[in-house]
Amino acid sequence: MPSDPAARSEPEPRRSRATVTRRGALHRPAGLEPGIDVGGLVDTEAGLVDRAIFTDERIYRQELRRVFAPSWLFLAHEDQFAKPGDFFTTYMGEDPVIVTRDRTNTIRAFLNSCRHRGARVCRADFGTTRNFTCTYHGWSYDLAGKLVSVPNRDGYPGDFETGQWGLVEVPGIDSYHGLIFGTWNSEAPPLRTALGEMTWYMDAMLDRDPEGTVVVGGIHKWVLEGNWKLAAEQFATDWYHVNMSHASALQLLAPKAKGPKTEIVHRTGRQYVDPRGHGAGFPVHPKNRFDAQTVHDWYDYGALRERLGDARVEGPLTNGHATVFPNFSYLPVNGSIRVWHPKGPDRMEVWAWTVLDRSMPPEVKEAQRLYNLRTFGPSGIFEQDDGENWSEVQSISRGFITNRVPLNYQMGIGSERDDGRYPGMTSELYSDAAGRAFYARWKELMTTPAWHEEQP
Amino acid sequence: MSPAIRVAPVEDIAEGEGLKVDRSVTGTADHIAVLRDDDGEFYALDDTCTHEEASLAEGWIENGQVECPLHAARFCLRTGAALCLPATRHIRRHQVEVRDGEIWLLPDMAPVP
Repeated sequence: MPSDPAARSEPEPRRSRATVTRRGALHRPAGLEPGIDVGGLVDTEAGLVDRAIFTDERIYRQELRRVFAPSWLFLAHEDQFAKPGDFFTTYMGEDPVIVTRDRTNTIRAFLNSCRHRGARVCRADFGTTRNFTCTYHGWSYDLAGKLVSVPNRDGYPGDFETGQWGLVEVPGIDSYHGLIFGTWNSEAPPLRTALGEMTWYMDAMLDRDPEGTVVVGGIHKWVLEGNWKLAAEQFATDWYHVNMSHASALQLLAPKAKGPKTEIVHRTGRQYVDPRGHGAGFPVHPKNRFDAQTVHDWYDYGALRERLGDARVEGPLTNGHATVFPNFSYLPVNGSIRVWHPKGPDRMEVWAWTVLDRSMPPEVKEAQRLYNLRTFGPSGIFEQDDGENWSEVQSISRGFITNRVPLNYQMGIGSERDDGRYPGMTSELYSDAAGRAFYARWKELMTTPAWHEEQP
Repeated sequence: MSPAIRVAPVEDIAEGEGLKVDRSVTGTADHIAVLRDDDGEFYALDDTCTHEEASLAEGWIENGQVECPLHAARFCLRTGAALCLPATRHIRRHQVEVRDGEIWLLPDMAPVP
């Protein structure tokens, strides 16, 4: 990782033109991508959700079209791209993408699918390369996505131009405090606008250190049975489950294993509710609390108060959970960031990074890394509880009667207000308010034709 | 054999890296790739892969071999022999010497057979 902070470059907000693909006489027939009216499946005023949104294959296909394709989606951390040719492969919805730094030092992202027969042109998780070569027939693309080699080029007709067959580029790339996001939607609002007041809450994790954040260790990936929204929703809105689901972990972590103190069980706090579907919850307490002692001792809380303000240090810096709509979540004090990659209505892949302050000395980084893995790594004592719940909910959702019984999202209805201390609208720590906002945004996108749909 | 060409100071080519010398300089049919193995030794081969249009100076160099950056054909740095598919034809090699911290290239000017 580069040690000179001046050597790091934020990607310029990029709005390249969407790649024009030659279609010839091809056209998709009406009915291939039917629009289902899901308006009746989510009632955020009454706090009711129909379980079909977690199980139906047609609704899932529509989510890929109308929720994932138009939204800003998290791709990677800038720290993963030190020099030209460094790449990382990930997904936007179910679309495979390559994120890379090209020879002009620009961060770009491309659809990881050969324009010839469609295989991936990069099969590695991450690394350094000079070209992306399809292993099927050998079409090769450079770091800017340009088609640079076609075996048996002479066999193609005279009007074949390699310039028309480059990799499909993700037109919108932007970053916020080191987090790179991308969108296929050339009409999307700028990333900063799409994040809105959520950035104030995100800064409790990303802006503690003037030097920014770094990725430590590898990226953990695991598969869970469960619809992606179960995880995204919980990280937006759910402190409620903590005392029940994580009782054994709380018991274990409490001093002398006598169980947590009453004031920890009966915490007060706030929950940020964002009309763009984001959400964040956190206890409110005068004392900040990094649980790993080495980390707790290292932080200068006075300096943090000066930098981020009392409200943040006594709020999202005590602990907490958050989701950036649709499928990026983080835990500000643990240092865990993750994407819930959708893999069909019944399955998700969790991809989790450990992201820590750049200025931390190695022994503090190590203490924080171990603490994060112990709690929210793939076998973490809290993570295991959460995965079990999501898979439990999913495993029975296909029952005919089960599927028709609405779920309750009524906690804290009407509690959203501007409390004068935390930006935007907030609710109580224990509330479904951000969950209702998450599903309201989901419904809004699902019932609105996306930019790529031909208007009737 | 043509007169030697001074290419660059030794430190300009890191171990595992290559430098393409244009044919307008070398006077050869193809450009020449000056390649430095991961043990520090210098070698020189024709730059264009014998399979498809690709620059071996951009390739991956290690363990006495260069791998084409496009389709992963490998050539022996010492002999120019094609070591695996998709390349089937060997590649022309040239002499390279280090004199007083400078890399000197002695291109093989024999006509292309």
